[in-house]
Amino acid sequence: MKLTLSTMLAVLMLVVMPAQAGDTPAPEEAYLYIGWPNDGEVIRTGGGKPFRVWFGLRHMGVAPAGIDVPNTGHHHLLVNTPVPPLDEPIPADDNHIHFGLGQTQTQLTLPRGQHTLQLIMGDHAHIPHDPPVVSRKITVTVQ
Amino acid sequence: MIQLLTRGIFAALLLVSAPTFAQNTPAPPNAELYIIWPPDGEVIQGGRLWVRMGLKNMGIAPANIQKEGTGHHHFLIDTDVPPLDEPIPSDNNHIHFGGGQTEARLTGLEPGEHTLQLMLGDHDHFPHDPPVVSEKITIIVAPY
Repeated sequence: MKLTLSTMLAVLMLVVMPAQAGDTPAPEEAYLYIGWPNDGEVIRTGGGKPFRVWFGLRHMGVAPAGIDVPNTGHHHLLVNTPVPPLDEPIPADDNHIHFGLGQTQTQLTLPRGQHTLQLIMGDHAHIPHDPPVVSRKITVTVQ
Repeated sequence: MIQLLTRGIFAALLLVSAPTFAQNTPAPPNAELYIIWPPDGEVIQGGRLWVRMGLKNMGIAPANIQKEGTGHHHFLIDTDVPPLDEPIPSDNNHIHFGGGQTEARLTGLEPGEHTLQLMLGDHDHFPHDPPVVSEKITIIVAPY
């Protein structure tokens, strides 16, 4: 009986949850962008020094990870990686940097060369919203 | 024994320091609040603008959420820093961003000079200890 119930639940979840986005709604007009650097920016840090990246967000608020408040989420910076699956928690590694304390900017150190940067909001459980709140992907060159 | 002693010392410490305890939520000493945009002295045509709020070495949490190292933004318009031992007032000169917002659309500023300043408040809208306050800037609103 227990097995049947959990099987039914699993089937239900498969039917109800299309594998496109998380469950947490985001405002349609939410707008996420990288305030600095600009797309195409040449950053002359020599590759060893950090530079500031600030996160722009309109029509939505910031909350630390683990905090479930409507119309909020926390920032994740994608470095040299495409947007991850939208129905799973955003990975946490060197390419997916979490700002679970509600930070709205960071100091980033990258080696010389071309890099892509992109922001994505995650909900209290690090899963992208519905619709996903993602910035434009930009390219910067560290010299 | 060591544990007991530690407890004793801890209790004594609490007793000694209790009277000087600030009520305010502690903030990291290196926290820095600043207005990303507009810059000081900016001329704004028509009095409608987006204001971008910058915060270093601290995070944002919505009002009523108590989490170490966080707070939420308050905009002080044409007013001075309010008393530090009371909740930040909520009126046309003290605008709260309890939803964890980091940008805001300001509208309806009359032509002339206006001062803008940011202040972080804790879950109860009290300033932190030390208070996290930005520089005060002046913008000039020009009529269309």
